[in-house]
Amino acid sequence: MMIFIWILQLICVPALSPLCMGIIKKIKAKLQNRVGASIFQPYKDIWKLLHKDEVISTDASWVFRFAPFIIFATTIVIGASIPLFASFLKNTLTGDLLVVVYTLALGTFFLALAGMDTGSAFGGFGSSREMTISALAEGGLILALFTTALSIGTTNLFVISNAGMLLSTQFFLSTILAFIGFFIVLLAETGRFPFDNPATHLELTMIHEAMILEYSGKRLALMEWAAANKFFIFAALGANLFFPYGIAHSVDTQAIVIGIIILLIKIFILCAIVGIIESTMAKFRFFRLPDLLITSLILSALAIGLIQMQIL
Amino acid sequence: MNIEKIKQYFSGKEKLTIYENVVIFEVSVSNILAFASDLRNNKNLQLKFITATDERKENGCFKIWYVFGIPHEHGFIIPFIELKNTEQFPSLSPLIHNAWNYERKIKTFFGLDPVGHQDSRGIILHENWPTDIYPLRKDFDWNNRPQEASGTYQFQKVDGEGIYEIPVGPIHAGIIEPGHFRFSVAGEEIVLLESRLGFTHKGSEKLFETLALNEKIRLSEKISGDSSFSHSLAFCQALEQLSDTIPPKRATYLRVIYAELERLANHFGDIGAMMLDTGFNFGGAHSARLREMIMQINERLTGNRFLRGINVCGGISKDIENREKEKLSEELTSILKDFNEIIHIAENSSSLLNRLKGTGELSLETIIEHSATGIVAKAVGITDDARVDFPYAAYDELELDKIAIEQSGDAYARFYVRIKEVYASIKIIKDALKILPDGLICAKNISPFKKNAVAISVVEGWRGEILYFVTTDADGIIERVAPRDPSFINWSLLGHAGVHNVVPDFPLINKSFNLSYTGNDL
Repeated sequence: MMIFIWILQLICVPALSPLCMGIIKKIKAKLQNRVGASIFQPYKDIWKLLHKDEVISTDASWVFRFAPFIIFATTIVIGASIPLFASFLKNTLTGDLLVVVYTLALGTFFLALAGMDTGSAFGGFGSSREMTISALAEGGLILALFTTALSIGTTNLFVISNAGMLLSTQFFLSTILAFIGFFIVLLAETGRFPFDNPATHLELTMIHEAMILEYSGKRLALMEWAAANKFFIFAALGANLFFPYGIAHSVDTQAIVIGIIILLIKIFILCAIVGIIESTMAKFRFFRLPDLLITSLILSALAIGLIQMQIL
Repeated sequence: MNIEKIKQYFSGKEKLTIYENVVIFEVSVSNILAFASDLRNNKNLQLKFITATDERKENGCFKIWYVFGIPHEHGFIIPFIELKNTEQFPSLSPLIHNAWNYERKIKTFFGLDPVGHQDSRGIILHENWPTDIYPLRKDFDWNNRPQEASGTYQFQKVDGEGIYEIPVGPIHAGIIEPGHFRFSVAGEEIVLLESRLGFTHKGSEKLFETLALNEKIRLSEKISGDSSFSHSLAFCQALEQLSDTIPPKRATYLRVIYAELERLANHFGDIGAMMLDTGFNFGGAHSARLREMIMQINERLTGNRFLRGINVCGGISKDIENREKEKLSEELTSILKDFNEIIHIAENSSSLLNRLKGTGELSLETIIEHSATGIVAKAVGITDDARVDFPYAAYDELELDKIAIEQSGDAYARFYVRIKEVYASIKIIKDALKILPDGLICAKNISPFKKNAVAISVVEGWRGEILYFVTTDADGIIERVAPRDPSFINWSLLGHAGVHNVVPDFPLINKSFNLSYTGNDL
């Protein structure tokens, strides 16, 4: 039974992440009075790309060739290291908050390297922008997650999601503040509005798309898939750390089924919020982005301060 | 044109030749600089266009024509110089800046050297074109492909620590025309932006010399496809001047209606595209929908979405029936209602306004120096509009609201000029439909063209002023057609608008201009 649950946990992120992208695109289309593509379109896109030939620049080094595998692998490892539908898995090897955050950073590091590797101007500024944003987002992310860790007293993510006491009146305000901080970082790290426009064709405005501009075929499929995984990971973290309801606490089929359904509902709500944001506002000017990320940092710092006062 | 009124521009010694609204006369090569700068600086006339003609066979000389417009008189003064036994002429560009690119073009295409010009690089033709073959000379063999050359093009260079160059294009990620942009950037800030065009050069000016008359009109529709109607209108009006044809009243009203429909379609498209470029998807999607509605109206009325094949010499080929009149008016009312809602929502989006305001600002001085035209000029408060200054078709009988202007000169101002023009266009179409006179839509007899004549026709296309310069030879056959799309002027401003902005804002600035590549490259 445990092996089965572990397999479920392992494939959950890569299996469901394209669906998230499809749902966001569908919501955006609906809000623009368009029919839009099917929510399963991202699966078909990945399938199509996996069957395409690829072109690799003669100037590319091993970084360019291996980066997609490294980046994709990091998302799979993290997918197994965060609470998704079951909190009893207690992964003590990689389930630590800091391990997860910095494994993600490893992926970003290789993504930025791959962007610069071919020497194209677009990849260069894409990487430069990505690093600017990641560096500024890191503080907000760490502090937001620390808020949850502090209120429970551990940095193991499974234990945090197991506690389910964050929204108790004692920590209510700090949890909400930290969640807002976290949500801003989610948008920044996954390349959504108002930081980046995943649907743009304007090469000069791109961040994430500029870094993967030189990729094609199978490696592009992995890059796109990894980006979707990253979104799913952030959404799951937000859903299970800040609102840890419905997650399965024991090895019980019914609890696990409910856990999966509730996870999907929570992630769907986050997708809907992202879709609505992308339909109702314009992208921010690049130099306004640090302001937003500083806001995230301050909100999380406030949340930590509140918790400290309560604990003392 | 009132001859008495334009007398003030001459000393009285010149031998004037007058055609309809055009006054031509020779000025000696040594006098031209003083004469031209006097017209511009002391008499406040606009230098509209400079071009050359190769008349070596007939008169043994090249001629260079300096077209000045007299607003509200609907007249043009065209001093020309004759270059006999020389291929050099004095450059006007140190005195009048907007002569810059016209002179470069004369140099590239006629091989006449503007002495004193600061920029010796060619324009439009690329390094693979031999530098000693001049395609607009009459003895150029247009049917044969010249040997491929391999020259170099020197981009402007910025030196300094941390400056790097971003080459963009000519192939872009979106479905747009090809053009190369060279950014010199410090961090994200643009220090220098140079555009390199000419990728869509098709030899249109040479084609105008070789095609039959009907095909010339069809060709004018393709100078810039999104302005098909305005371009062919400008060309047909020039032909009508040359043949002393007066198009019937009904035709002139219908021309106004079609021209404004074209303006509407393009403005809706641009307003939407600007919102889309900022990521404001809602506005982008709905403006694109409105544009499509206009395109479908165009197709229903004329059988062509781009209003091609409508203009003919002497009038137009497609009438609007009475029952269509009502329907069109109703449709415009409902489009206006939707448009109002979209703009209302856009105005309430602070993130959209934040992106538009202060982006790609241009100062009044820069605009005046380059004699910018159309939306770009209106966005700094210049009230030039060919529909008012050089009224054509039925525009002098229709009440044009105030010319839409803004003051701030940024992307927001260009966005808003378009919005105001949409309202004005809808009003003009409705007014024109109300008082649409009965009668023919095309003049019956077209007399042969005047001999050795010159005609100038201007039309306010949706981008700005379109100008056609047409000459005939001693047999009354069209010898040279020089179209000037507003893009040719405004491209030189894009670099100025880009400087000091961040690179990710450039696509928005470019879109707020939305210039034609093909109209520039010809």
